[in-house]
Amino acid sequence: MKFKAFLTDHGVTLLERRFLPAFEKIGKTCHIYLTPVHFILLHNVLNSDGVQAIAQFSKDAVFDDYRISSQNQNRIAFTVDLALLLRALKSSVSIYGDRLQLKLVRKRPSLSERPMPYLTFESKGLKSAIIQDVPISQPLNRIDVEALQSSLDMAQELPRTLVQVPGLQNLQGLIDRLGKLGDVLEVAVTQYGDLHLQVSQTMVSIGSEYRKLRVLGVRSDPTSTGSASSSASRLQQAIQKGEASRVLVNMKHFAKSLQCHLTRPDAAFCGVGELDSCLFMMFQYFIPGTRLTDNTISLHYRLPVLDPGVV
Amino acid sequence: MDASNPFDLRCLLDNVQGMVDALTCLRWKKQQDSIVELSDHGLVITVEERGCLQARVYFRKELFREYAYQAEVRPKFGISLGLLIDSLNTFTSSTRAAALELSYPGPDMQMIFKLVDANDSCIYAEMRTRIPDQIPHDYVIEDDGGTPISFAVKSAALKEALDDLEWPGSSIEITVSPVPPRVTFRGDGHGDLQIEFPYDRQRDLFIAFNCQREISYRYKYKFLKATTSQIPVSILKDNRGSKLTFGTNGLLKVQHLISVKPSPTPHQHYYDPSQAQARVSYIEFYVLPDVDSDDP
Repeated sequence: MKFKAFLTDHGVTLLERRFLPAFEKIGKTCHIYLTPVHFILLHNVLNSDGVQAIAQFSKDAVFDDYRISSQNQNRIAFTVDLALLLRALKSSVSIYGDRLQLKLVRKRPSLSERPMPYLTFESKGLKSAIIQDVPISQPLNRIDVEALQSSLDMAQELPRTLVQVPGLQNLQGLIDRLGKLGDVLEVAVTQYGDLHLQVSQTMVSIGSEYRKLRVLGVRSDPTSTGSASSSASRLQQAIQKGEASRVLVNMKHFAKSLQCHLTRPDAAFCGVGELDSCLFMMFQYFIPGTRLTDNTISLHYRLPVLDPGVV
Repeated sequence: MDASNPFDLRCLLDNVQGMVDALTCLRWKKQQDSIVELSDHGLVITVEERGCLQARVYFRKELFREYAYQAEVRPKFGISLGLLIDSLNTFTSSTRAAALELSYPGPDMQMIFKLVDANDSCIYAEMRTRIPDQIPHDYVIEDDGGTPISFAVKSAALKEALDDLEWPGSSIEITVSPVPPRVTFRGDGHGDLQIEFPYDRQRDLFIAFNCQREISYRYKYKFLKATTSQIPVSILKDNRGSKLTFGTNGLLKVQHLISVKPSPTPHQHYYDPSQAQARVSYIEFYVLPDVDSDDP
């Protein structure tokens, strides 16, 4: 099992400034999954509760001179502490060096102990070199790697309808305030491009409706909603016609997933998974200076859905 | 009654943040019930600690962009203050200068809020109300026919003094004397602390001072503190002042004046003084004297 690669400047910026800080907001650790073509960060995918996050980069978006080999179809996966990883990356960046090399090594922490796996950051300057060893878990076995791969494959199944989430910063302000009124958030997405966010409790129900948003996937004509004047009745009609999906999610999970703004996405989309299985959030990044989607980077979150009977 | 408008009250408010700030001043503990009273003159929200402390905030109808009232009997209903503040606060997340629409009653006697932004997005809320079990007491400052003893100071100075008196705690004696003109706050509990506000026409601590004879009353610290503890920083910075008036029986009225500025509209460049006057809201606290006291 071998892995060795040089981080590109763009790769360092992507990880250090954008993706690792966003991942750090949702959890302490994550899986790193390396394949011959992709570098993937996965959070919480082997558990069913909590926010799941998957960021996938094509190897050339992050690395130069990428070499990987293993007996499991040249795939390697392990768990890493995000704070340690981010710290190592930050201090490597602060040293003016030639190139930053990453490799997997096994070292003995002390002579009496067994060798442990590390992800090593090596930056060579003109007269000095800095080596940082970030401890990682034992590499995942074949079954666990398969589980990671299948969760990746599952994530390719997009909801039938996705609507574009308006201004993430603004939305975060709203969610911060709604969070004081309840722990459960109702999220509904219609095929007309409406997004409903609502909190209901015994004394108050409060929510926000965004209309005429961009729709990806299955869409319907909004004029068919008839003359319903209030947002609640509009949504009710849409649900009856099967043109909307509504789920309940944990308010904290939703607030956490809005931390994705740290990755500076150019567009964010939200949809309800097949059979109301999860709330799906997908982010797009443009090639700098254009409005073309950069297909070398992708990020999405899946939020577990709460059972209305239990809530 | 207007058939197109089935509500007793339907009004539009520009500055939601101003209302949130004013209501926050009343929130001295977590669970508080408030009584809302609607009338042709505006909206009054009252919070009470029976027989000890009462606070009211007045939103005169001039504060609203539109105010359509058409009830025959003044509606009065109970609502949780904390919930009202948290709900109103949600509407402040809208960045655009849209007005909040408030209507009462909904089909189930709810209070209905709605704010429609540009591009059709909207924030809405429905709050359930309840029939109030007690009607708030109407406190009046008895004045013996003359002018009641009163003084007005900067709100920040008053708040600072009351915050400092936390250390001795328990009960605080307020003395107002004409010669030399001054106000003294004195606390004794775990220790003694005396804070003096000397009146000096040349200095700007006092905005007004009106005292013909010396008076001295005791108040429970926790109630006195409630009159200033929650004033938001934005109001303190504005520094419109707080007025304290004493009734003959020791009833203390603390009145804060606060500006409820409209959200700046790009079209309005001129200054309209009548408009500025209309943008002032009042918060009043009535504190009853400490009954264990030997003072008159």
